[in-house]
Amino acid sequence: MKVLFFGKLRDALGDEYEVDPGQGETVAGLRRRLADLHPVAAGELLSPRVRACVNDWLVREEFVIHRGDTVEFFPPVSGG
Amino acid sequence: MAVRLADRPFVPHEELADFMAGLSGEGAVVSFAGLARPCTGSGETVERLVLDHHPRLTLSSIEQIASAARERFEVTALAIVHRHGAVEPGEAIVFVAAAALHRRPAFEAADYAMDRLKTEALLWKREDRDGGSEWIEPRGDDHWARERWDQTCPE
Repeated sequence: MKVLFFGKLRDALGDEYEVDPGQGETVAGLRRRLADLHPVAAGELLSPRVRACVNDWLVREEFVIHRGDTVEFFPPVSGG
Repeated sequence: MAVRLADRPFVPHEELADFMAGLSGEGAVVSFAGLARPCTGSGETVERLVLDHHPRLTLSSIEQIASAARERFEVTALAIVHRHGAVEPGEAIVFVAAAALHRRPAFEAADYAMDRLKTEALLWKREDRDGGSEWIEPRGDDHWARERWDQTCPE
């Protein structure tokens, strides 16, 4: 499973990396696991303002992720 | 409707000329260009802006905004160009143009598109300053500007 970060999270954690999802792991569970691995970005990773996207679809926290999925985390946006 | 992401500098008046060349019979054109400022509100020098984007969803998020503007206002044409990557001070970040038979829908469509671009386009903006970098988030007045389009008049 590929995990990608954007904006502030990309600066803190890099572009992307591979991680195996746990059995039945949800987006919320993945956030907690990543936050444990990267305490420096824990506040951002666990923030409800950071949205999760799986295979180009915004998903809820209880969404179950699978091997082969691409999970992306979007901090608050700022265009214009 | 023309929506484009640009990874290199673009010239707003050339975008406007292209946009106007495609019109026929409209009575009003409104355009807006957002430029990278050379310093912050407190006077600190900004070396550059860096706009992070998503390889697929950034463009579709801007296309949705453009479609909504066209559906909501009586405009005949709408164009949006948005930079990504490193933007130097003075360079254009965003260009919006709207054309209509009469001026009011053109003003409103451009204003509406900009308010939504500031708060909803899938872009992430970092200011690289003398004293360090900061990721920028929409301000309170940006959210207010966006929300006013959802308000309805009391009966």
